[in-house]
Amino acid sequence: MKRAIPVLALSVAGLVPVWLYSPGPAHEGEINEAAAAPETQQQAQAQTTTPAPKTSGSAPTAQQKPPQQAQTRTVAGPAVNTSEGTVQVQVTLQGNRITDVKALRAPNSEPTRMALPILKQEALKAQSADIDTVSGATATSQGYRQSLQAALDGAQ
Amino acid sequence: MRRVEQIMGLPISVDLRDGDDALAERAFAWLREADERFSPFKPDSEVSRLDRGELTREELTPDLVEVLSLCDWYEESTGGAFTAQVPGRGLDPCAVVKGWAVQRAADLLREGGASAFCLNAGGDVVTAGEPEPGKPWRVGVRHPDLADQLCVVLGVRDGAVATSALYERGQHILDGRTGQPVTGILSVTIFADDLAIADTTATAAFALGKEGIEWAAAQEDCEIFIVDEDRRVFRSPGLPVHIC
Repeated sequence: MKRAIPVLALSVAGLVPVWLYSPGPAHEGEINEAAAAPETQQQAQAQTTTPAPKTSGSAPTAQQKPPQQAQTRTVAGPAVNTSEGTVQVQVTLQGNRITDVKALRAPNSEPTRMALPILKQEALKAQSADIDTVSGATATSQGYRQSLQAALDGAQ
Repeated sequence: MRRVEQIMGLPISVDLRDGDDALAERAFAWLREADERFSPFKPDSEVSRLDRGELTREELTPDLVEVLSLCDWYEESTGGAFTAQVPGRGLDPCAVVKGWAVQRAADLLREGGASAFCLNAGGDVVTAGEPEPGKPWRVGVRHPDLADQLCVVLGVRDGAVATSALYERGQHILDGRTGQPVTGILSVTIFADDLAIADTTATAAFALGKEGIEWAAAQEDCEIFIVDEDRRVFRSPGLPVHIC
């Protein structure tokens, strides 16, 4: 039987919005922040290497401080128990933009070892990928007009 | 050749890379026919007549028998969470009809000689061959929260991708066991060989709520990409993720 692998299991409030709630198209909203921040702040300044808590059942507080502008931060998610073993992910952000995702802890099972690196590709690149069509886009004609699929079909 | 038409209340688009353009018309004609015959919203459809008791199951066309047997199979498999007959409402096999009819439209294209095409019916997709030599069709999956963004891109040659999600229509999927809107999952994407299977599995998994994750992953020949309400992503290892 195949099993579902939770490839990213971050429940820290500060992280989830960044990964899946990447705020709007990457250019909007972030440009202001980036412009306001001096170039020199881009260096890895806050390396918060959170040691993995032994008690993976309790939710560790991985969010160290409120997000600051265009700084590089490394944040560890909580360790999450899955049917395949314990998974813990670390995300590096520059401002609100994810620049790296890596597994701190991943079970040794083959599918998970594969799944975590692939997630990194998705998280970083899915937004800018060239596509031919969209699944889950449009249940209604109203939605269609506003959808990526309409743009692909050339029907504004 | 690209064409979009509104059928079954859905924008349906075809992107045909080879074969005769007339094939697209044949596919659309079949979809219009399926809408006439199986829509519960059209009083003269076979489904409406069955629902009113004007037809018995023995009098049905083989097509509707096939649709209803798919409905029955998924209803049993999900313990009634997926159902074509929510208590207090009329018979509504739409959840199966759409994927089934679009898959048959794709089969018509193939039988007519087309070998490279992409058919998209309101976000449920059937693909064949390659858009250009050596490349798969790149099927972006809509982000559950952001309409203009993607959460994953799949690379598909001959296959089907269906997504069931909460966005846009609001909470449109009911748990047949309770009659209440489903909670627990934001988006279910299923990759399979056949859109009837992919679409129905996606809807049924959604109807099951969180139980639907393991249920869908265990379905033969289905690969999953599911986002739960905590924004956790569940993915089966065989999912054809396109690395760009």
